Amino acid sequence: MSIVKQLIINADEELRYPSLSEINLLQNFCQTGANRIRIARILADNETRLVQRGSRRFWKRRPITPSNSGNMRKTNSCQRDQGWYIRLIAYCVLAGNSQPLDEIGIEGMREMYQSLGIPLGNWVEALICLKEEAIALLENEDAVEVIPYFDHIIQALVNPGPPYRINDGWAEY
Amino acid sequence: MQDLITSTINTFDVRAQYPDSDAMNRLEEYFRSGDLRAKASLAISANAKSIITKAVAKSLMYTDITAPGGNMYTCRRYAACIRDLEYFLRYATYAMLAGDPSILEERVLNGLRETYNSLGVPIGGTMRAVQAMKEVTADLVGTDAGKEMGVYFDYICSGLS
Repeated sequence: MSIVKQLIINADEELRYPSLSEINLLQNFCQTGANRIRIARILADNETRLVQRGSRRFWKRRPITPSNSGNMRKTNSCQRDQGWYIRLIAYCVLAGNSQPLDEIGIEGMREMYQSLGIPLGNWVEALICLKEEAIALLENEDAVEVIPYFDHIIQALVNPGPPYRINDGWAEY
Repeated sequence: MQDLITSTINTFDVRAQYPDSDAMNRLEEYFRSGDLRAKASLAISANAKSIITKAVAKSLMYTDITAPGGNMYTCRRYAACIRDLEYFLRYATYAMLAGDPSILEERVLNGLRETYNSLGVPIGGTMRAVQAMKEVTADLVGTDAGKEMGVYFDYICSGLS
């Protein structure tokens, strides 16, 4: 969900037109638009390079991992997923928030990798390596737009938040 | 509902692709027109009531519809009519801000024709009023923004017809 959609939904709930401050938000969002498109293009053009270099870095640190086991299928799946996360980050850069990542790539990510038998610690390390490669690739001001999304994925793995079973009332033991 | 950005992302995500250069150009165009859209929205929201008044004067006033026996006769039905026109204007403005007509489909047009038919609201008159609103809005916001708003007014009309 982009900021544009959010402000329209908020306005519609109150049967009103977007307020001046909401319109200012939209204007700012559009003014930074060209820059965000440029950054998304850089990510798209460099996806393979980031994944290749990130993987080499990753295997040096964690040599014993499914993607480095010699099974090409596992290697390809791991690198495909890394590429996909870069793609989702490019979507987020375009949308200006982390909603695309949350909806497509983060909700249920932990559970999925656990069920696939992927060592989560290694996956976190692989993402950290990707992030380091992205920092090396991008100019400082571009990195500022991109890196928070890498951190967002890493945080979702490291601090998964409350488990699904939690409710709002007091827990009694 | 979707806006141009969300719909672009959704379209390309199911193919596991980055937005292609056409889509990127459309996004670029959208971002470039941000100021225009913002100003148009502010102008319309400040003048919403008078846009409706002028559009009704242009299209429905002193026709059979407002005469006794017409569907706008009695204050209650007149008020219901201008309320609906206000909705059309507000949702067309949302769609213009989003650069995508899906909100019209979802929150305005879905079932509208059937509702109007069962209430005896003349579709032709409604479409005339929407077209008049399009002209009045274009006079207010200028040619470029008027053209963009026109896309969504026409969308409402084609959804009704």
